[in-house]
Amino acid sequence: MFENLILAFEKTFIREDRYKMFLGGLGNTLIIALCATLIGVVIGALVAIVKVYYKQTGKLKYLNAICEIYTTIIRGTPIVVQLLITYNIIFVWSTQAVAIGIMGFGINSGAYVAEIMRGGINAVDIGQTEAGRSLGLSSATTMKSIVLPQAIKNVLPAIGNEFIALLKETSVIGFLGVIDLTKAAERVISRTADVYFPYLSIAAIYLILVYGLNYLFKLLERRLAKSDRG
Amino acid sequence: MIEVKNLYKTFDGKNMILKNVSYHVKRGEKLVIVGPSGGGKSTFLRCINLLEKPTYGEIWVNGKLITPVDPYLHFDVIEASLTYGKLYEKSVAENPGLSEEERREMLIREIKEKDLLHEKNEGGEYRKRMKQIFAANHIQIDLARQKMGMVFQHFNLFPHMTVKENITFAPVKLKLQTPEEASAKADKLLARVGLTEKADAYPSQLSGGQKQRIAIIRALAMDPEIMLFDEPTSALDPEMVGEVLDVMKELARENMTMLVVTHEMGFAREVADRILFMADGGILEEGTPDELFNHPKHPRTQQFLRCVL
Repeated sequence: MFENLILAFEKTFIREDRYKMFLGGLGNTLIIALCATLIGVVIGALVAIVKVYYKQTGKLKYLNAICEIYTTIIRGTPIVVQLLITYNIIFVWSTQAVAIGIMGFGINSGAYVAEIMRGGINAVDIGQTEAGRSLGLSSATTMKSIVLPQAIKNVLPAIGNEFIALLKETSVIGFLGVIDLTKAAERVISRTADVYFPYLSIAAIYLILVYGLNYLFKLLERRLAKSDRG
Repeated sequence: MIEVKNLYKTFDGKNMILKNVSYHVKRGEKLVIVGPSGGGKSTFLRCINLLEKPTYGEIWVNGKLITPVDPYLHFDVIEASLTYGKLYEKSVAENPGLSEEERREMLIREIKEKDLLHEKNEGGEYRKRMKQIFAANHIQIDLARQKMGMVFQHFNLFPHMTVKENITFAPVKLKLQTPEEASAKADKLLARVGLTEKADAYPSQLSGGQKQRIAIIRALAMDPEIMLFDEPTSALDPEMVGEVLDVMKELARENMTMLVVTHEMGFAREVADRILFMADGGILEEGTPDELFNHPKHPRTQQFLRCVL
């Protein structure tokens, strides 16, 4: 039994330097998830600000309409379909699958982050905005320096979840031919015909990643909560 | 110093909170506004720095118009228009039974809702006339607010900033003071309200009375010419009311122009130059503390004072 395990490990990771395939896959998974989350947070914050601003003042009507269409389409279609359309139709001339993956996931994530951020901004007491404006600060400064820092603190757990969800979701990037962690396992399986060890291994790797990220976010939350101590 | 003319405020088009309120606040005046809840006192105060947008009316601060450049806000502009004259004659012919007041309100609302004041109805001179009335005297609200401090019932300190950052943030951000000047000023203000040791604390570590004192000096750090207080002691535990009122009394002694909405009748009696009694969306009675508290004329004032004194 134990010898079998060692053999399976050797076959999956050591032989023909297959661990390099896994490492490369892991690298792609992390890069795509990280960059896409960053893009998602930027897009999400912008979309949320447009939506909140429109609701408060009635200005930016057309921009708000575009944002509505964006969130409706993105949240109403599967990520795989979005990626395939982006790769095979919109960017048919490009073979930069990783970059397109980052963009696809980022745009997808932005729609979800936008809703999270909107909730976070709305959860900040209106008195904060009033206090900022009553001191003569512009609405932009009030939003940027008074409301957003509080909103981000509110939504940080949810953004962390979004990042973790995205990390796992990147496993569908294999549809574009990118070798991520999941695709690497499949490649190895096609050589060794052993499905158990590679699949269980990558499951463990995903689990460790998610667990580690959870821990990091907890730390960050605690740091940001320093003004809450009573 | 502050002139409020024909102020109307409706919420959602029907709830009339303020009905034709006009008042002139003079420099150095200590004005206390009292009255029952829902009578429009807070809305009146919040309209003065445009935290609420008036439905009609104009507000002038130091000779500058702060309400938006919008002819529909001004009753006299609407009434002086050619359109109003035409509609008025038509209305008299069709509905002779209406009272003057009803007719006026109906016509003004109609003109506003249908957006009838424009070049085509009013002739070629219209834009020029509007420019004369507004553009020359209009001031950006953010600029006007820098000179109007506001203190809220719920303090509204910024929870993610320390006490000192709360005080220095706006003056530094608006480039009115250098960080060093602002810091020195904050120290002085903190010492004045006896909270020097709280400079680096966060608002969540303060009591209600301390928070409100910080909120007051946060407004004072901008060197305002007028201070607006919106029920500053209503959210406080009773034993903390005194410390906040003391700061306000000291301000009054320094001759700050103050508008205070409050239920603290003792404070009103002691500090106010004039008292406004507001109820049902209007100023029902005004006078010196002696006139209003000892010889109220309006039955509504008498009834209110019987309940609170």
